[in-house]
Amino acid sequence: MNRKRMFLRLVMKDALVRKDRAFTALLSVAVVATMATVALTIYYDLEGRLSREFRSFGANVIVTKHEGSLSADELAKLNSIVGSKGDVVPVAYAIGTFSTGQKIVVGGADTEKLLRLNSWWSVKERNANPLELIGSRADPGTAFTLEFDAGGSGTIRAGTVFTSGTDDDSRLYLPLERFVRETHVLPNTALVRVDGRPQEIQSAIDQLHASLPQLEVEPVRQITQTQTAVLGKTRSVVLAASAVVVILIMLCMVATFSSSVLERRRDYAVMKALGASNRAVNLLFASQSVFLALTGALIGFVAGSGVAYWIGKANFDAAILPQAVLLLPVVLGSIMLALIASTAPIRLLQRIQPAGILRGE
Amino acid sequence: MFLRLVFESFRRQKRRKGVALLAIALGMSIATAMIAVGTDVGDKLNQELRKGNANLVLTPMEDTLDVNLGGVTLKPASEGAYIQESDLIKLKSIFFGHSILGFAPFLSNEETISVHGHEVNADLIGTYFAQPLQYGTESFATGVRTVNGWWKVDGDWPQDYAASSWPTNVAADVLVGNKLAQANSLTVGDEISIAGKKLRVSGILNTGGAEDRAIVAPLHIVQQILGKPNAVRSVAVSALTKPEDAFARRDPNKMSPKMRDRWYCTSYANSIAFQIHEALPSVRVDQIRQVEQNQGRVLARISGLMLLLTLAALVGAALAVSAAMAATILERRQEVGLMKSLGASNGMVASLFLFEASLLALAGAAVGCIAGILLAQRMGQSIFGSSITLHPAVIPIVVVAALLVTFVGSAGAVRKAVQFDPAVVLRGDA
Repeated sequence: MNRKRMFLRLVMKDALVRKDRAFTALLSVAVVATMATVALTIYYDLEGRLSREFRSFGANVIVTKHEGSLSADELAKLNSIVGSKGDVVPVAYAIGTFSTGQKIVVGGADTEKLLRLNSWWSVKERNANPLELIGSRADPGTAFTLEFDAGGSGTIRAGTVFTSGTDDDSRLYLPLERFVRETHVLPNTALVRVDGRPQEIQSAIDQLHASLPQLEVEPVRQITQTQTAVLGKTRSVVLAASAVVVILIMLCMVATFSSSVLERRRDYAVMKALGASNRAVNLLFASQSVFLALTGALIGFVAGSGVAYWIGKANFDAAILPQAVLLLPVVLGSIMLALIASTAPIRLLQRIQPAGILRGE
Repeated sequence: MFLRLVFESFRRQKRRKGVALLAIALGMSIATAMIAVGTDVGDKLNQELRKGNANLVLTPMEDTLDVNLGGVTLKPASEGAYIQESDLIKLKSIFFGHSILGFAPFLSNEETISVHGHEVNADLIGTYFAQPLQYGTESFATGVRTVNGWWKVDGDWPQDYAASSWPTNVAADVLVGNKLAQANSLTVGDEISIAGKKLRVSGILNTGGAEDRAIVAPLHIVQQILGKPNAVRSVAVSALTKPEDAFARRDPNKMSPKMRDRWYCTSYANSIAFQIHEALPSVRVDQIRQVEQNQGRVLARISGLMLLLTLAALVGAALAVSAAMAATILERRQEVGLMKSLGASNGMVASLFLFEASLLALAGAAVGCIAGILLAQRMGQSIFGSSITLHPAVIPIVVVAALLVTFVGSAGAVRKAVQFDPAVVLRGDA
């Protein structure tokens, strides 16, 4: 048997003969690795995951043209910038007058898209014209006639009544085609929803500014600021909580691990008595620690990814996928920790004569 | 004799006991800190959001429609109904008065403003900035500075004035929206006048909304310019609410008295709106659904995430403590062998070990609880700037958990230790 095989045999035998001791050390490494993986995986994916929730807040950017209406070219540019990661709803506004003389703001838009964008509106459908939307404050309850400032007039049946809690509640929205027929006014405003993290939204706004300088591009501060604040605070909480948990569990693991190494003082003394050098003994103990840490870290990474996946499923209705990039830091971190945890007790042992330990001192 | 054995074991094995104690204390401080933070984070974030975001809006019941287009109020001030400003203090008198974090009334009209010798038309909006108010013995200040957190001012916020008083000698301070200021080259310190009244620009307002093209002035100044004392058009209210669920949406008039009480005493936006309507019958209360509905959902997600993370941390801490206990007991099999060879029964050995473990658990729980509470407070302070409220039930839960986890961790190891043949153990062959 050559030296290498002997060494490997010593490393393996220790774990196999004292299964319980190896198991507790392994367990403590695996727990640390699991918690670290869970925390890092969730933290890694948190912003994207939560940003998705903010889609339901509706338009977060308003684009307006002050002179005239949005041209087809401008709309095309808008659509190409926002693209698939959002929504653009052009809206035109005009004033209409009820037969009572009461004035009302009338909007013209793709009302189906508008409803989808404002998914938080509480909506009630009541007749066969669901695409004519009327705000709950403006709703007269029945069909009514409106006169438009442009001269046209028409009967509105308004099949959908909505409540939003904003100025929209005093407005009527008609499908764009009918609106243009009655008022000859074309959209000068676009409600834009840009999906993504705060910095992605900001970069889309900057892009809009740059390529459409003649338009006014305003983020809906209330929404974007809320998103930034919520994400920032949540990230800090998750980070702080994870850091606390991982550090404390790490300390716990170091304590367990080093105590299990310290308990092996007899093995140590026997080895020394048989003539092993300090270096050889250190190497052996370190290799055993690395072996345990490697196994524990791999188990922990798999378990941790599983827990993160489950948390994603349970909380966000979408799994949080394992992040392969985290494997290396978790494994290296565990090995480092195990080495630290095992070198300190060995130092302690080196100060004692092997004979003393064997005598039971 | 039993107590002496326990005592001596602690005295002679300080290092071993120290490690076990450390492990339990660490595990329990994780439990305490995570439970405290996990259960409170929803409330904390909610409060954070409410600070700068109104979620309810009050308008007069008998009002005509608002006609706002492109940030300009087209409805003349003479038209429509008003809310009595003096009634607003009643907001604090409702059952959930303490949940009303702030409110800001609004009164606006399109006015002709003379700037640098020429005239422009713009909206004049009156509101509270941080109006000092008195409710019973409680003094507080409220206004857009607390309700509309996204309003930013370059320069100074104007001061608020008492009702129907006009500052003597100096011009009243107002804010000018940044777009209006840019178009008319207005800067801080400039004077403008509306209806012959002199006003001074104390700051440039930036909201990203219609106010960027308006003049925003103290409510009591605007009331006097418009000749509408005690009148406001709408009020934005920021109330601390519980996310809406199916129960919240039910009609309180169709509930049994007991259910109605439960609904009434839960801080849903719906029940707060209902209570405001009770206190101010001529007022219509609407939820700003965009804020109310969506934030509730986001908060629920975050709270859920924290609770699951807490759960994972608890399981992790339990496993870590169990491993530590098992490690310390397994190493003591020689002792077990000695005790058994001197005639101790398995039961006696086990009870000795478990008694030691429970002493450790209690001490560990005490240390862990204190450390955990301190940690949670630190986290609360550094992230939210306010301390985390700890539910008193957490302490007994943590103590019981500590006992349970140490017992489970020790039990397996003790069973294993007493199963060995004492002779084999003492010979050192095991």
